[in-house]
Amino acid sequence: MTAVAPGSTIVWLTLAAMGLPFAAFLAIFFVTRPRLLPSLVISLACSAFSLAVAWWLLIHLRGIDAPLMFQALWMHGGQASIGFGFLLDPLSLVMLAIVTSISFLVQVYSLGYMAGDPGMAKYYSFLSLFAWSMIGLVVASNLMQLYIFWELVGLSSYLLIGFWHQKFSASQAGKKAFVMTRLGDLGFFLGIIVLLLNLGDLSILGLNSQAAAKLSPALLTASAVLVFCGVVGKSAQFPLLTWLPDAMEGPTPVSALLHSATMVAAGVYLVSRLYPMYAASADALAIMLAIGTVTMLLASTMAMVARDIKQVWAYSTVSQLGFMLMGLGAGSYFAGVFHLTTHAAFKALLFLCSGVFIHHFGTNDFFDMSRQGARHLRIPMVCITIAGAALAGVFPLAGFFSKEAVMGSLAELDQGIWLWAGLLGALLTAYYTFRLLFVMWRPLQPLQDKQSNPGHDDHQHSGHSSFGYGVMSAALIVLAGFTIALGFLGDKLIAFLHWQRPPQIPHHTWLLVTAILVVLVGIALAWWEFGRRGAAQEGFLRRFPALETLFARRWYLDDLYRRLTDYVVYGVFSRLCTLNDRRVVDGAIDGVCRGTVGAGWLLSFLQSGLLQYNLFAMVLVIALVGIYFLLL
Amino acid sequence: MLSAQLPVLSLLIFFPLAGCVALFWLGDEKKVRVFTLAVSLVELALALPLLGFRLGEAGFQFVEHAPWVASWGLAYYLGVDGISVLMVALTVAILPLCVLCSWSYIASRVREFHFCLLFMTSACVGVFAALDLVLFYVFWEAMLIPMYLLIAVWGGPERRYASIKFFLYTLAGSTLLLVAVVALRIAGGTFAIPELMQKGYSFDFQYWVFLAMAIAFAIKVPMFPFHTWLPAAHVQAPTAGSVLLASVLLKMGTYGFLRFCLPITPAGAEHFAGLMIIISLASIIYGGAVALGQSDIKKIIAYSSVGHMGFVTLGIFVFNLRGAEGALFQMLNHGITTGALFMMVGAAYERSHSREISDNLGLGKYLPAFMGLWGLFAFSSFGFPGTNSFVGEFLVFLGAFQRQAWVGFAAVPGALLAAAYMLRLTQRMAWGEPSSVSGWPDLNFREWAYLLPAAFFVLYIGLMPGVFYKVMDASLQNMLSLMQRPVAHYDAPPAPQKSGGLLQAAGLAGREGGR
Repeated sequence: MTAVAPGSTIVWLTLAAMGLPFAAFLAIFFVTRPRLLPSLVISLACSAFSLAVAWWLLIHLRGIDAPLMFQALWMHGGQASIGFGFLLDPLSLVMLAIVTSISFLVQVYSLGYMAGDPGMAKYYSFLSLFAWSMIGLVVASNLMQLYIFWELVGLSSYLLIGFWHQKFSASQAGKKAFVMTRLGDLGFFLGIIVLLLNLGDLSILGLNSQAAAKLSPALLTASAVLVFCGVVGKSAQFPLLTWLPDAMEGPTPVSALLHSATMVAAGVYLVSRLYPMYAASADALAIMLAIGTVTMLLASTMAMVARDIKQVWAYSTVSQLGFMLMGLGAGSYFAGVFHLTTHAAFKALLFLCSGVFIHHFGTNDFFDMSRQGARHLRIPMVCITIAGAALAGVFPLAGFFSKEAVMGSLAELDQGIWLWAGLLGALLTAYYTFRLLFVMWRPLQPLQDKQSNPGHDDHQHSGHSSFGYGVMSAALIVLAGFTIALGFLGDKLIAFLHWQRPPQIPHHTWLLVTAILVVLVGIALAWWEFGRRGAAQEGFLRRFPALETLFARRWYLDDLYRRLTDYVVYGVFSRLCTLNDRRVVDGAIDGVCRGTVGAGWLLSFLQSGLLQYNLFAMVLVIALVGIYFLLL
Repeated sequence: MLSAQLPVLSLLIFFPLAGCVALFWLGDEKKVRVFTLAVSLVELALALPLLGFRLGEAGFQFVEHAPWVASWGLAYYLGVDGISVLMVALTVAILPLCVLCSWSYIASRVREFHFCLLFMTSACVGVFAALDLVLFYVFWEAMLIPMYLLIAVWGGPERRYASIKFFLYTLAGSTLLLVAVVALRIAGGTFAIPELMQKGYSFDFQYWVFLAMAIAFAIKVPMFPFHTWLPAAHVQAPTAGSVLLASVLLKMGTYGFLRFCLPITPAGAEHFAGLMIIISLASIIYGGAVALGQSDIKKIIAYSSVGHMGFVTLGIFVFNLRGAEGALFQMLNHGITTGALFMMVGAAYERSHSREISDNLGLGKYLPAFMGLWGLFAFSSFGFPGTNSFVGEFLVFLGAFQRQAWVGFAAVPGALLAAAYMLRLTQRMAWGEPSSVSGWPDLNFREWAYLLPAAFFVLYIGLMPGVFYKVMDASLQNMLSLMQRPVAHYDAPPAPQKSGGLLQAAGLAGREGGR
């Protein structure tokens, strides 16, 4: 590890890149909010600065052979002190470039998408808040700092999902997202405490180098799994996967930035960040592999029946995140990170393209979009096709190479089942992606007159200005470029990630062929059902209504959770406690008080001042005393 | 030395009392408010010498000692250490906020109201600064009366029930405390708290004295089965009363644990630690569960107090430095955050004239500043990283895990429940379908003035907790080391001959109990 001297250019630039988005948030939120133009300038300038620094750092430090770290003391806890600073190594540099790039592109895109919205300045302040917390998360030098920014990312997600005040369902979704991720975060928090108490060090480098040696295997697995709980929450893995589709209630650029490319990928990033620690625990890797696989398959099936374009991409995000975790769980650090990188590009592109359609047609249903003439919007249509093909894993787009890397790592495992699951997932992915694309390209009954569909309208449009369309298209084209190019940078990335000493990755020609065949089968099936002339555009699942309902209801996971909270938490637990509080605890106290008053009332008869009562009492007492002495 | 020149603590205690007296010459309501605000600000300025507190010293500073009733060994003995100096600062800092948040809320008997506020501050500072047991007890009881009046005179519709409940409940605890005070005098031969901390007592003695004190303090905190006076009192009390109750009064219970139970009767505390931990955990989870089912905003916050104070007692009874630090942090945090939340409920009440959630919906659109600050305090309340409570909860969790892992795990549902009820409340207030919000004004200057200081400290403690560690660490370490002293194997010595008949009689009772 190299500690950078405070005061050097790198330190200043990095700290500025970390801090400026926050300054932008404060400035916009508290000062310039009533005025739109300065707010936009501030936000975009800070975002552009972070972008420039991130890429400069990536290029400048491309040959580093040891991580750069800078940190200042923040607080002490346990035997160790907790610092605050940044850690630059290939992983964080790559992630930093991804985050700042997508963040900047989404800010540019939103100029068109959010134009005319009364809360646009506030929206940009929240985007800046998000950029700040995400950058802080990526470069965090220790786990505590990472956790703090991790939660802040959740906060900005909460604010952005519930951005439209008039949509109560949106705030509901925001709350659901927050509580569900927090459920996982508690595990993360406990993991931090276990690590801190047993290791006395939370710095990421320290954890990676010492955890395996200093902790007993059981403790290592326990803390790795606890930290992984946070990943399950944040990356929407099974069983906490149902918040992400609901989070699509937010504005579409937010979905592109937070809920596909960067924030939800933070979970995968965390695992990569601590990969040496995870790699030391075979059990933790096995759990990761299993959860990733289950999530990937479940989410793919859900995507097969969704009609809402954002929902399809949301399920697909969940499933691809599971796929990344499969790669990591199978032991290939590179495969996970590579897929994370390419996925960020093509999934952001998919969402942004969908945003253009939603903006234009005022509906989220892609059958409707198609009927209204989606294919006449050339740029987004071409871009969504490129991105969709990349998602499905079509050669030579980015997704093909990164999926290949993950498949290769799965093939190395002893049990074949993981590879088969991965191939099945690839088949389903190709099917649901091309189902959507074919529907979009080939409308069933084109409508001549456009009729609006206010039910799905995201927000009030201010008309479709050519400026807005142009800005949005520009962002799309840049991302499409990345989607095409990134795949060929795999060799560079693997060398960079492994400090210029890339491990030997075995290549299986049979696997390559099989994977391509599987994708082709998926596409062909989609074409038969949705793409060919005269197709009824009904999936084969229509013939299995039970399955279709199961998938459409998200395997009843949501219903299960709602019942659980409604009946068990609210209905039984909370109600019983409240009742107990009123009747039993408070009732007992009131009972004691009433008893005291009652006893006083009874005793007051003794003091009535009437002689006969007093005499009677005297006689009674004497009689009782006499009986007592005589009998005993 | 500053402390030698200037009796800081006496000034802090008696200056508000002098203000009380001066209030009798003021008739005009406006003048009363301005005058009280001035008094509270001067009081705050008088506390500035406390900044000269020497860090890293375990003992008491700013000590003042004078004989009081010499024949009984009573002394006027004041001093603060790293634990109490923070509490004194909190008390003094809350006062001006209370005056400001009652500016338009209190319309009747204004002079008497401010009399109560000032009197209360005197008594509270006294409780935290007293180093003589009897002096402590006098302040402890003195503070009951103004609080009772605050609820009974300026409270809501059920104020009589709530105020009497509050008074009787606390008084019941106080009688037990009195027994403990007398018993300690008999066994230790002095009323001076620092000396009592050094002595050894037999286990039986510690057992009973701990129990007497612990019940008194547990009622004050309040801990799980003794908590029902709190929601009643909070809901009925006026805003300033709720703020004082949450920010200062509850802290006296946990302060009592730290000041008396742990250092004076360590063996008793150790014996009951398991029970106290379980009760603390029960408070955390039970408070959260009940808060989840309430529809009255004040009730939600009141029950959340039960949960938060559970974290404090949990930190105290795990008997390690992290836990104690966390407990003290949580005492400060709860004072700031919950106090601020009560002030905000008061501000909302002034607009909607209701404390039901359903009457305060959809504030986000029309009152963005209000809702933004509310969000900050609500997030602080459930320990969001970057805010003050995160630091405290983190340390308490650390301490709990250091003692036994299951203790830490058992507190986790409480943290989740806290997020759940706070988000449920915040979501409805921010996004709900508004009923009649549109005409309401956003925060005015006065409201900003009392909310911003609280917001500042929420973030300051959350981001830079270092200086607070330095204040509290030495004293807490000293307290924990005092707990290590051995149990005496002899019974309590007979009462000194000089003491009066009253003490003899009470002493007999105490010793009888000690068997």
